[in-house]
Amino acid sequence: MSKHRDITCQLLVIGAGMAGMAASLFAARRGIDTVQVGLGGTIPFASGLLDLLGVYPVPAGQILTDPWEGMARLRRVSPAHPYTRIGNQDMQAAWRQCLGFLAEAGQPYVSQAERNMQVITPVGTVKTTYAVPHTMAAADDALVRRPPCLLVDFAGLKGFSARQIAATLGASWPDLRAVRLAVPRMQGELQPERLGRFLENGEHCRQIAATIHRRLDGARAVGLPAVVGVHRTRPNFEAMQQILGVPLFEIPTLLPSVPGLRLRETFEQHLPRLGVRAWYQHRVTAVEARRANEFRIGIGRDADGFRARTQAVILATGRFFGKGLHADRTAIRETLFDLPVDQPPQRDEWHHKDLLHPAGHAINRAGLAVDDCFRPVDVNGRRVYARLFAAGSILAHQDWVREKSGSGLAIGSAYAAVRACERLLG
Amino acid sequence: MDTTFIAYSALGIGLIGTLWRIGRWFRLPIGAECQPPTLTGLWSQTARAVGRAVFGPRVTRLAKALVWEVLLQGHVLRQDWRRGIMHLGLFYGFFFLVIFHALDEFTSARLWGDYAPTLNPWRLLRNLAAALILLGVAFAALRRRSDPLLRATRHMADQLALALLAIIVFSGILLESHQIVSPEMFRTMVAEYAFIEDDAEFEALQAYWQAEFGAATTAPPKTGADTLALGRDLHADFCAACHDGPQSALLSYPLSRLMKPLANALEKANFDTLLWHLHFLVSCLGLALLPFTKFFHLVATPLSLLVRAGGTAADADAGLRPVRRAMGLDACTHCGVCNQHCAVAVIYRAIPNPAILPSEKLGALMRWISGATGTQCVSLAEGSFICTACGRCTQWCPSGIDLQDLWRASQRELVQKGYPSAHGWIRSHRPAQWAARAATIPSASAKAAGAPATLDLSANPETFWSCVQCTTCTSVCPVVAVSDDPRRDLDLTPQQVMNMMRLQLRELALGARMVWDCATCYQCQEHCPQGVRVADILYELRNEAHQRLKPDYPLGAPDEIVSKA
Repeated sequence: MSKHRDITCQLLVIGAGMAGMAASLFAARRGIDTVQVGLGGTIPFASGLLDLLGVYPVPAGQILTDPWEGMARLRRVSPAHPYTRIGNQDMQAAWRQCLGFLAEAGQPYVSQAERNMQVITPVGTVKTTYAVPHTMAAADDALVRRPPCLLVDFAGLKGFSARQIAATLGASWPDLRAVRLAVPRMQGELQPERLGRFLENGEHCRQIAATIHRRLDGARAVGLPAVVGVHRTRPNFEAMQQILGVPLFEIPTLLPSVPGLRLRETFEQHLPRLGVRAWYQHRVTAVEARRANEFRIGIGRDADGFRARTQAVILATGRFFGKGLHADRTAIRETLFDLPVDQPPQRDEWHHKDLLHPAGHAINRAGLAVDDCFRPVDVNGRRVYARLFAAGSILAHQDWVREKSGSGLAIGSAYAAVRACERLLG
Repeated sequence: MDTTFIAYSALGIGLIGTLWRIGRWFRLPIGAECQPPTLTGLWSQTARAVGRAVFGPRVTRLAKALVWEVLLQGHVLRQDWRRGIMHLGLFYGFFFLVIFHALDEFTSARLWGDYAPTLNPWRLLRNLAAALILLGVAFAALRRRSDPLLRATRHMADQLALALLAIIVFSGILLESHQIVSPEMFRTMVAEYAFIEDDAEFEALQAYWQAEFGAATTAPPKTGADTLALGRDLHADFCAACHDGPQSALLSYPLSRLMKPLANALEKANFDTLLWHLHFLVSCLGLALLPFTKFFHLVATPLSLLVRAGGTAADADAGLRPVRRAMGLDACTHCGVCNQHCAVAVIYRAIPNPAILPSEKLGALMRWISGATGTQCVSLAEGSFICTACGRCTQWCPSGIDLQDLWRASQRELVQKGYPSAHGWIRSHRPAQWAARAATIPSASAKAAGAPATLDLSANPETFWSCVQCTTCTSVCPVVAVSDDPRRDLDLTPQQVMNMMRLQLRELALGARMVWDCATCYQCQEHCPQGVRVADILYELRNEAHQRLKPDYPLGAPDEIVSKA
């Protein structure tokens, strides 16, 4: 029945989103024998920007220049927030390791230690974030100095209009121009990924750069959609920059995004190299907790299942889109272990009457409540399993979308969970 | 009727038939790439090609093919040693008997002055050859029964060839065993060849033959040492030059022991004359039928193997390819090896159209070339376009037929004559036109027509209601990626097809080329973050379209189809 033989490991990471990837990375770096399982379809649904804390407090919508200062305030006010359980030192170490890994893998990120960075969005607004792909770093500077700038888009690329960006930002940016380029041999509707694969080819990038160069007309910066290659981004981007001779920056696109794809493929390719035994595109089919220190986890696609015996589990299965949580007519459930989910007692309390209420909805803060070791606890605050940890967006008492804290939450909680796990494994 | 006349008539029919069939190779227009060349042109091209092969650098390959494949049949042995030994037995048994037994007047008797069919080693060899053939026939018959695919594709032609061989050989053995025991035969031979002076001598010789060679007598035999000694002397004088012990007849002698009690009765019934005529006439029948039965592979298959040694069809002159194809049709022994290795043979279990199987497709092709019409063409087209051109049939064909080339040529012709593949006819209209047509054919009728059960994914909203139109399926689709303009080439992208499902506009997707060009690589399904079974849905839609929208064959010429669209 089974193609693969059953396996054993110290730690099984369930989930292949940002939190799962980070947990596997940290565990591998600590020499923990790690297996990772996950469908891995959701990272490209993020922009590829790595947030730490962009907005606090949420109801006021106050944008933070210094995320660390915001975090200090948050910890004072919200003792249950996951950030309260992660010290600054751990958080910084987690980011260092994560960004170090990405740089090593050829997809460097740029961040400022003490302050958030800014990028332009595809609709022309400004987004605050913590670390940006090296291809977007120049946007931060351009937003400050606002030099004459040329914005490029591609015919057929949905949801991305250089004209719209120019029109929105133009009021406060004197010389902001837009140009639309036709992509050779690509007619009709274009998805970012298709363009990204097309621009994997350095020759295509040079041709486009040359075309843009002819249209510069005095522009001192160039912005274009984030589609410059998936794997060969760095050489291709540098080649384009050299041809243009002015700072070049990528602007995030609609999803699935190419920077997200780069992140996923970087993790998927390099984690196994660090010793993680990864089963991407596989799902967990069954879970069974045996005694205090052993889980048996069924892994498979359809019929070709096998079992993993592990001493510890980190649950990084995400929320509703990631399928870590499931909401039906009566309640929100955790899908694998049926862990207690911290949630409003009644369904009609899940949502605020005002859909766009700045404070968000109660359901956004539902999730797994954890102890200081990031182990899920029940309503009485007692941990459910001694060696079951949770990380990422599945955690309760946070609203990562409105806080702009998704990656910080994933990376920070994964780091804390792995550290606690290492301690418990002895 | 004079037996010589019959024999020569059979030979004449066989020869003329053979020439006629070889001549047909030059007249059958199987996928003529160029305009039909003149017959003389073809002949001279053939002569040149043969000249090049025989006097060119490839002659060593020809020699190797002649020895290794035609004579030793090593390629068959390597595929399956049992089948190889079976065929070697049939092949060498048959040729030995034809050359050294049937034609002994011209061969054995001339080569060996003291030849007599009743002397060893001839008797032994003849019986050995017969045993090989009978074993071969039995194995072949068993083989056709044992394999379900071979059983399903059994033809009268296969049975006829085996039956003819078995009748010829068995009647020969029966005749020989009868002759071993026949008293009348003994009397006639004695009267003709021995100078016997009195009855005592006759009886002595008879007693000796009965004791030593197991001959039968009409009267109870005499015994005694003196009589046998006299008989031995007489045998040495008159018989030994042409006769030695029949015990070496592996098959006939044991059979003659069984017949001995009946010897006199059979004698009276003229059994030997009957048997002789049966043996002779069926042999003549076999000779006359050679060009019109499977026996013709004796001529075509060695040639086909030699031609293959000279290079593939693609290397051949374009003008000669049709000749080669026609020869290939004749070289088929209907052994069924192609079917056993065909990548799509398994589909035959779901769609019982024999033209899916290479060996049967070859037959259907033959009938098509001979002018078959109607449903026969439709089933040939269906079988032809199920082929994935994996090339295994060509690789395995023990007769060396370039089947791949035949399929390519016939597919092209089928398209030209208005029998295109489903992928071809679906392009004759736009998706909206197909949707209008589908509206007149409810899907329920397709189900009732005994169509294979489907998963019914497209009719069940739960299948696609989690779709968020995120375009992941479109982004990872290699068919979309290869197109410069998906809207022009594919009508819809995968995620748009899913949207049609969500909008209850399923009919609009039936004729969309995305549905038809899907390579079923399953990238979309594996990458879908929502677990939508995108590839399965596309596949199901294609099946549904195939059932509901089947056109009336033959379609117009390709130009017409385009202009209609």
